[in-house]
Amino acid sequence: MKEALHVEWTKLRTLAGTAWLLAGVVLLTVALGVTASAACADTGCGDPAKTSLTGIAFGQAVVAVLAVLAVGGEYSTGMIRVTFAAVPRRSTVLAAKAVVVGALVLVAGVAAVLVSVMAGRFVLAGDGAALSLADGPVFRAAVGSVLYLVLVGLLSLGVATVVRDAAAAIGVVLGLLYLFPIVAAVVSDPDWFKRLQRISPMTAGLAVQATTNLDSLPISPWAGLGVLGLWAAGALLVGGLALRLRDA
Amino acid sequence: MSGRDGFGQALHAEWTKLRTVRGWVFGLVAAALVIVLMGLFAAAASNFSCSGPDGKPCAGSTPPLGPGGEPVVDNFSFAHQAFTGDGSITARVTSLTAVSAADDQAPVEATQPWTKGGVIIKESTTPGSPYAALTLTGGHGVRLQHNFTGDIAGTLRATPSWLRLTRSGDTITGHESADGATWHLVGTVTLPGLPSTVRAGLFAASPHHEVVTESFASTSGMSYPTRATAEFDRIDLEGTWPDREWTGDDVGDLGGPVDRPEVGFEETGDGVTVRGSGNIAPVVAGRGGLGRTVEGRLVGAFAGLIAVIVVAATFMTSEYRRGLIRTSLAASPRRGRVLAAKSVVIAAVTFVTALAAALITTPLVRAVEVGKGFFEYPVPTATEVRVIVGTAALLAVAAVLSLAVGTVLRRSAGAVTVVIVAIVLPYILAIASVLPTGPSDWLLRVTPAAAFAVQQSLPEYAQVTADYSPADGYFPLSPLGGFAVLCGYTAVALGVAFSVLRRRDA
Amino acid sequence: MEATIEVSGLRKRYGPTVALDGMTFTVAPGKVTGFVGPNGAGKSTTMRVILGLDSVDEGHALVGGRHYRSLRHPLRQVGSLLDASALQPSRTGRNHLLWLAHSQGLGARRVDEVAERVGLTSAIRRKAGGYSLGMRQRLGIAAALLGDPPVLVLDEPVNGMDPEGIRWMRGFLRSLAAEGRAVLVSSHLMSELQDTADHVVIVGRGKVIADVGVAELIETASGERVTLRTTARTQAMTVLARAGATVAVTGTDTLTVTGLSGERVVALLGEDAVPFSEVSAHRASLEEAYMDLTRDAVEFNAAGDAR
Repeated sequence: MKEALHVEWTKLRTLAGTAWLLAGVVLLTVALGVTASAACADTGCGDPAKTSLTGIAFGQAVVAVLAVLAVGGEYSTGMIRVTFAAVPRRSTVLAAKAVVVGALVLVAGVAAVLVSVMAGRFVLAGDGAALSLADGPVFRAAVGSVLYLVLVGLLSLGVATVVRDAAAAIGVVLGLLYLFPIVAAVVSDPDWFKRLQRISPMTAGLAVQATTNLDSLPISPWAGLGVLGLWAAGALLVGGLALRLRDA
Repeated sequence: MSGRDGFGQALHAEWTKLRTVRGWVFGLVAAALVIVLMGLFAAAASNFSCSGPDGKPCAGSTPPLGPGGEPVVDNFSFAHQAFTGDGSITARVTSLTAVSAADDQAPVEATQPWTKGGVIIKESTTPGSPYAALTLTGGHGVRLQHNFTGDIAGTLRATPSWLRLTRSGDTITGHESADGATWHLVGTVTLPGLPSTVRAGLFAASPHHEVVTESFASTSGMSYPTRATAEFDRIDLEGTWPDREWTGDDVGDLGGPVDRPEVGFEETGDGVTVRGSGNIAPVVAGRGGLGRTVEGRLVGAFAGLIAVIVVAATFMTSEYRRGLIRTSLAASPRRGRVLAAKSVVIAAVTFVTALAAALITTPLVRAVEVGKGFFEYPVPTATEVRVIVGTAALLAVAAVLSLAVGTVLRRSAGAVTVVIVAIVLPYILAIASVLPTGPSDWLLRVTPAAAFAVQQSLPEYAQVTADYSPADGYFPLSPLGGFAVLCGYTAVALGVAFSVLRRRDA
Repeated sequence: MEATIEVSGLRKRYGPTVALDGMTFTVAPGKVTGFVGPNGAGKSTTMRVILGLDSVDEGHALVGGRHYRSLRHPLRQVGSLLDASALQPSRTGRNHLLWLAHSQGLGARRVDEVAERVGLTSAIRRKAGGYSLGMRQRLGIAAALLGDPPVLVLDEPVNGMDPEGIRWMRGFLRSLAAEGRAVLVSSHLMSELQDTADHVVIVGRGKVIADVGVAELIETASGERVTLRTTARTQAMTVLARAGATVAVTGTDTLTVTGLSGERVVALLGEDAVPFSEVSAHRASLEEAYMDLTRDAVEFNAAGDAR
């Protein structure tokens, strides 16, 4: 496993796109967060923590690209066969990829969330004065957002392993993330509405960002993140099975 | 001649390329399928379960339809008499106020912008029947309104205001006056086929007070009814008024408490005071509203869009993946022509696929919804055609955008992400995020997501206060304007793609 | 259209790297012209320029007197094979040829004809992704022949083929030239062209080093060299040197003699009764001739750089 980790780390590190994508995660997350904070500076949007972390919805797309390319890139070039020749235990390869991608996203996520919250505090001014990481719920929102990005990365990794084509995998991941809220908006049965929100990886997962009005959430913050965790675990599991059963 | 000939062959070649890769055909079929299936799912997962306090079906589940066929709210307190032939009704509004009318609260002053009190000529007291009303409002001055959608502004804004409606055949004319001596024309409206004898008189209505706060994918609101009190004097009836006395009616009363002393009219010396709740206006759709719209049936277009974007991006990037682009350009050395042929093919195929899917989905989902007892917002055929064809065109143009971005980036994952994020993310942020309506509107003006305006089937009504937010299906740009924004982005992307394709070594 | 390729003064640099440095040559009809040089000599770039895929800083490449990009149905004038793997793996070989045919206004019948001509009929309806490299080369040749073009440009067409396939390809290229076509075939191995090319254009570092007929090239490179095997080495050297030959020791009992014909060597040794076991006149292979030439070119360039 240690060698496999080293292999994956070297592969991802020496890929020119990785650094750019990680920078993209931070930049786009912060940019959208600051924009949302600025938009809410006058009126206040109710939840300063959530407002300042709006950018996660943007940054997650870049995380998905990073994770999908870690697998899809190998399939498109045929390098996956070289990889499996070097590390024949395929589940080990997948686990190593998950650890490396997860760790990279964790680092980028911490940077993105820290800067977003600090920027939000500055931009939201009056409303944002309450925005302090020493505050329990705000801290939970921040940590949860970082974990959210990591889990989105793992979900993408799993999907890419199943689908094998980078473009299709990105389509599936962004579809999973973005379509639930849209469908929920047109469903008028309150039970179904709540159900959709609870199983939606994005809506449920982002419940962890809420610091006000916790009663109105479709799912409690940590349970919501757990839903995303289940999605990610499921995707990785299916991916691992597919790796084992299919020819490389 | 030779140019067109060559382009035809380039088209033929690209069409052959597209149809001979199973993944792409599968992707397009999947796009059509998700459009149908998601539409059906959304309908199946919607239940019409609205019941009143005593188990009766809840009020207003099927609203009355106005003369134009649109669903309307026609609920007001009406002091009326029979009125035959030509003539006029004149009254002075001396006071117009409204108070909150929640059952469990003491009334507080709550005059709404569209609290109304004025004179009205109406075919009958049946809700939805044709009318013309000249009314003072809480916040919009004197208005001449007719048949629910017509709204003409007068000039006076304060009490007392003199109001006069004159009937001549099918034509009704409204005049206003500050002093009862000098009269100004507000407007003239026509009520075709108005019978000779109609009901005319004084009315009062005041809509709900609504405060809506939005948070992620949920709306919490505060809403309570209000009740208007309109005081009239100097009432002057010209023409034939056989009744000689006022009759009170709570038009469109939906079976609330039978005896409501606070609603109705009373005669006061030389005047009349009318008290009432409700509104005379078109129904405004909203999320969780009582009815279903055309665009709601096409919610699957978002999923179809993602599938189409993936196919279109790889239609181009696959050329780069293995150097196939060199073979393509050796076969058709004019590079602009290759890009143009690819764009035309992917746009045409996407358009036909999406159009077929939308044409199948719409009646299918409508049948499910009608079966479940939903009210279907009637829209003109032209609007329905625009929504369906516009949705197909939206997917087609998005496919070309994806192709162009794929040409520039030469990486499928990057191209797919850029295009999905550019089109879908702004829409999600607009309908399901902390952003208030202002920034949401802005997002739907400047990003490619503006194109979803082409799906809006219901108009905004200036004379109804409502939350015309993106989440409720109301877009800041007109259907064509929004669509043009996406076309603009696509044109720019195609321009860049064209220029890099020409400059770059293949 | 005249079946010629005319490449004239091509120059192209990628940043500090000079890819083409005044590349000039012509390809005549009815012949197979080999285009030879080490990897990175600019062969593929030149071919891409001929096909209008890459731009150049200077110079021009014309096919039948016209720029490739101005050709109306280019595949009916120039057939090309650049990279046999440049295809979509999920498309069948037949469909790959079909879209190419459609781009030239040709029909499915022509597709089946060329597939048969390259011997791919049995596999043509399978996905191209499953083809062996040799089958892909055949598919690429079939694509090049679609428009029945008078000019063919083939980049390393025998790359990855088995010996049987290579033999087939040689005969095939010869038959194409015999039909009067101009055939330009690149290779980085001169030996591959030994029995195929009539003419070779040898390139190195982006320019032409030699542009000669194959027969002439071998003639020049062979010179008059004789290999002599003898146990009396010193005695033989003395005798032959006296007769004006240059003699080099190449082994414990072998000498290489330059400047005398084989018959003369035998006669001289006989006169002085020097024992020998074998005398053979040497004939250079195309590969040796090529190595001689490119070595010179490399040395020349190294000297030039030092200056």
